[in-house]
Amino acid sequence: MMCGKSKRRTGVFLAVFLILPLLVTGCWNNRDLTEINLVAGLGLDRTDDGKILLTVQVVEPAAIQSVSSGKGKGGGTQPMPVFVESFEGETVFEAIRGMLSLIDKKLFFSTAQVLILGENLSKDGIVEVLDFFQRDHEIDYTMDVLTAKGATPKEILEIETDMESIPALYIKGTAENTISRGTVKRTRLIDLIKDMDCIGKQPTIGQISKAGEKEVRTEGVAVFKEGKLVGWLDSRETRGFLFAIGKMKSAIVNIPAEKGKISMEIIRSKGNVKVAFENSKPVALIVKVELEANVGGHEGRGRLDSPEDLHILEKKLEEEIKNEIMLALHKTQMEYSSDIFGFGTYVHRHHPRYWKNAEKNWNDIFSKLPVDIRVDARIMRTGIVKSPVKKEE
Amino acid sequence: MLERIRKRSRTGNQNSNEDNTHADSCEQIPKTIEAVEARLSEIFSGCSDFMHREISCGEKRSIRILVAYINGFVDKRVLNQDVIRPILDFFSNTELHEGSRIFEQLKECVVINNDIKEADDMWQAVDGILSGEALLFIDGENKALVIGVKAPQGRQVDEPDTETSIRGAREGFIENLLTNTTLIRKRIKNPNLKLEMMQLGKQTKTDVCICYIKGIANEKIVREVRERLKKIKTDAILDTGIIEQFISDSRLSLFPTVGNSEKCDKLAGKLLEGRVAIFCDGTPYVLTVPYLFIESIQTTDDYYDHAYFATFMRLLRLMALLVSNLLPAMYVALVSFHHTVIPFKLMITLAASRQGIPFSPFTEAILMIIAFELLREAGVRMPRPIGQALSIVGAIVLGEASVAAGIASNLMVIIVAITAICSFVVPPLIRATMLLRFAFLIAANLLGFLGISIVAVAIFIHLCRLRSFGVPYMAPVSPLSVSDLKDSFLVLPIWAMVTRPGTLRQEKAKDGKGTKRQEVKIKP
Repeated sequence: MMCGKSKRRTGVFLAVFLILPLLVTGCWNNRDLTEINLVAGLGLDRTDDGKILLTVQVVEPAAIQSVSSGKGKGGGTQPMPVFVESFEGETVFEAIRGMLSLIDKKLFFSTAQVLILGENLSKDGIVEVLDFFQRDHEIDYTMDVLTAKGATPKEILEIETDMESIPALYIKGTAENTISRGTVKRTRLIDLIKDMDCIGKQPTIGQISKAGEKEVRTEGVAVFKEGKLVGWLDSRETRGFLFAIGKMKSAIVNIPAEKGKISMEIIRSKGNVKVAFENSKPVALIVKVELEANVGGHEGRGRLDSPEDLHILEKKLEEEIKNEIMLALHKTQMEYSSDIFGFGTYVHRHHPRYWKNAEKNWNDIFSKLPVDIRVDARIMRTGIVKSPVKKEE
Repeated sequence: MLERIRKRSRTGNQNSNEDNTHADSCEQIPKTIEAVEARLSEIFSGCSDFMHREISCGEKRSIRILVAYINGFVDKRVLNQDVIRPILDFFSNTELHEGSRIFEQLKECVVINNDIKEADDMWQAVDGILSGEALLFIDGENKALVIGVKAPQGRQVDEPDTETSIRGAREGFIENLLTNTTLIRKRIKNPNLKLEMMQLGKQTKTDVCICYIKGIANEKIVREVRERLKKIKTDAILDTGIIEQFISDSRLSLFPTVGNSEKCDKLAGKLLEGRVAIFCDGTPYVLTVPYLFIESIQTTDDYYDHAYFATFMRLLRLMALLVSNLLPAMYVALVSFHHTVIPFKLMITLAASRQGIPFSPFTEAILMIIAFELLREAGVRMPRPIGQALSIVGAIVLGEASVAAGIASNLMVIIVAITAICSFVVPPLIRATMLLRFAFLIAANLLGFLGISIVAVAIFIHLCRLRSFGVPYMAPVSPLSVSDLKDSFLVLPIWAMVTRPGTLRQEKAKDGKGTKRQEVKIKP
C-alpha cells in the first residue's frame, strides 16, 4: 500500500516536471550580469558604399559606481561611464556579431533606451533594417526612435553631457519632454512599427540634431514616404501636426497682443482627421481640434477680466493653431506629398470601395485636396491673479 | 525505498528491545523483609543512591518494616514526619500479630501522606522506587506500600526563552511533568480536561501524558494519538522531540506536522480549539497535534491584540516566509536569466555591484548563506559570554570585509541579511526554510524563474498532500473552509470567532463549521 502511494506520488511529480517546462517560455541561458555589455543607445546608418554602420553606446557599470560614489573625485579625470563603438556590416545582425571583434562581452539590447537612425539610411529606406528589431526577442519595443539631422548617429551618441552620466538617458529624457512642449513627435519603436503597418498613413519619426559640443536638440519630425525620408517639419509645423492627429499633450502657444504677446498653455487637446465625400469622391480634408487652454503669461498691454476679452482671446488662439496646422498640412501636401496625418486611414475605413481604386495614388490625391480646419478652443483659467501689477502706459 | 528502510528500522528496534525487558515478567514480593532486602540489594547493586532502612516497633519489636527509596529523590523531611514518625508513635504501644491488619492500618490510619498505592509485584515496587517514591515493605506481607514523597525537583516556573510575547502570560513549562499539568489545570478549571498518563521508553520509563478536553477534542484524534504513542518502541524518551519523530504522519517531510510549545497560555488555547497535547516528563516542550501549516504564522499575541494589527502581522509573517525562501533565488534568477525584466537604472546598479566579483551570483549566494548559517549555529552552540565577540566578527567579516575584498557584492550582503531576518519571523519553519532556500537557489541557477516555479509547485503539491493526524495540513485554505478563514491569513476579533476551528471538529457538521464556543456543556 505504501509502495503504491509513493508510486503515485512520483507519477504526479513527474507529470508536473514534464508539463511545466512546455508551458513556460523564457530565457534559458544562464548569463551573469558581468558577462554582458549593457547597451544604452543604438545608432544605425548607411555608409557611402551601402553597408550598415552600427553604433552602440555601452554602459560601464564600474565607472558609474565610481562616479556616483565620488571615488574618482580629486583624482583628475573621471572615467567616462560609457563607451561608443561602431562596426560595419552587410546586415544589422552581422554588424552586431561582428562587433564582438572589437569588444569583449556580448551586447545586451534590452536596456537600449534610444535608437538613432542616420539621415543616409533614412533616405535609403528604413523598413528593411528594422526587421531585425522586430524579430529579435531581446529588443525592448518601448525604446525611443529618433532620426538624426545634420549629424551621424555616431556623432550624436558620442556626445558627453554633464546632465546625465549616460548620454542615451539624456537623449531619451529630452524626447520625453515633448509631453510638455509638443515640438517633437515621440516615437517609440512599437509606434513606428505600427505606423509602418498602418494602411493609408505614412510614418513619422522624431528628429534629433546636435546643438553644441555637449547638447542635442530633439525638435521636429522626419517625414517618410513609403519607408524613405522625404523631408522634415520644423517645430511649429510639428506642433500643428501633433494638434491635428491628437497627440498633443501640452504646449505653449503665443498670441500677439498689444505691445507684446500672450502665452497660452494648452492643457488638453483632442484632434482627429476626416475626409469629406461628395458623390463618393473626396472633396476636402477636415481637421477637427478641440482644446482647452490656460493663460500662462500676458506680456503685453490690456486686460483680461471680462468674458468678452476671453472670447476674443479664444478666437485668436483658434486662429493661431489653425495657422500652425495649415503650415504642416501645406508642407506635407505641397512639398512631400506624404499623408502622415492618416487621412487615408479614414478613407480606408469609411469608404473602402473608393479606397480600393485610390490606394495606389492616394498621396497625390491627398496633395490636391482642399483643407478645412476647425479649431474649437476654450480658455479655462487665467492664473491666480485677476488684475496684475499695472504696466506703465 | 525510504519507506522500506523505515520499516526495517522499526522492526529492528523491536528486536533489540526485547533482550532487556523485565517489565512484563512477574516476581512476587518475598514475605520476609530479609529476603526483600537481599533482592533489592541485588537489583540496586552498585547504586550508591539507593537507601534502605529497617524499622522495628511494637512492644517486642515484632513489627518490622523496611523503608526503601532513592536518596535525593524523596523529600526526607516529609518521609520522616509523615511516614516514619507516625509509624513509630502508633505502634510503640500496640502489639499485633496479624500481619494483614498491620498493612491495612498502616495504609488507612497511620501514614499521613495522601499519595499511597499498593504494589504486589517486585518490579512494580522497583519502578516506584525509581520514580522517586518511598516503599514500605512489611515483614510477613506479599505487598508493599508505595508512598509518594517526591521532593520538588528542577527549576522554578520561568518565562520561556524560545517563545516570547509582548502581551500575555510569562509562565512557561518546566521540566517537571506534574508542575506542567498543574499549570494547564490552573488555566482550564474543568473536569473534562483529561490527563492520561503512560510510560514510554524501555530504559528511561519516561512519564508521558496525553491531555485533551473531552467534548471538544476529536475522539478519533485522541484515539490515534494514544495508539501511536503505544506503538513507540524505543530505549529512551529524553525529549518530546523524540516522540514527535515517532508519531509524525509524514516522517520524511521537511515540514513539521507536530507542534510544540513552552507557553502555558498558548497550550491552553490549543487545547480549547480541540487539539491534543502530549506532555513528557523532563522537558518543557509540550507537543500539540494536529499541527497545521497556518499555526506556524499564528502567535498568542494575535488574539490578545486588536484584530487589525493581528491581520497585518499575519500577512507580514506570511510575506517574511516567502521572502526568506525565495529572495536569494529570485535575485539569482534575475541577474543570471531575466535581464529583460529589470528596469535600466536598476540594471546599472546591479551590474555595478556585481562588477569585479569573481564568483557567479549563485556561488556568491551559497557562500554567503552558508557563512550566515555558520554564524547562527555558532551563536547557538557557543557559551553565552563569547556570543558578543561572535556577532562582532560576523558583522565585520560578513558585512564589511567580504565586500571590501571584492568577494561578495553589497547587494548580496543585503539580500542575505533580509533573508536571515525574515527567516526568524516564522520560527516553527526555520529549519524547513533553511533547506528549501538551497533547493530554490539551485533550481534558480539551473532554470531561472522556471526552476523556481517548478520547485514551488512541487512544494505546494507536497503541502496539500500532507496530513497531520488525519487533518489536511493546508486547511483551511486547501481544502477551503470559509468559516475557518477567520483565524488564518486574516484574524477576526475574538468576539467574532464564534465557532471553534471546523477542521478539528468532533463530528462532521453539514455546514462545515466548528462547534460554538459558548454552547459547550460541561458534564463531569
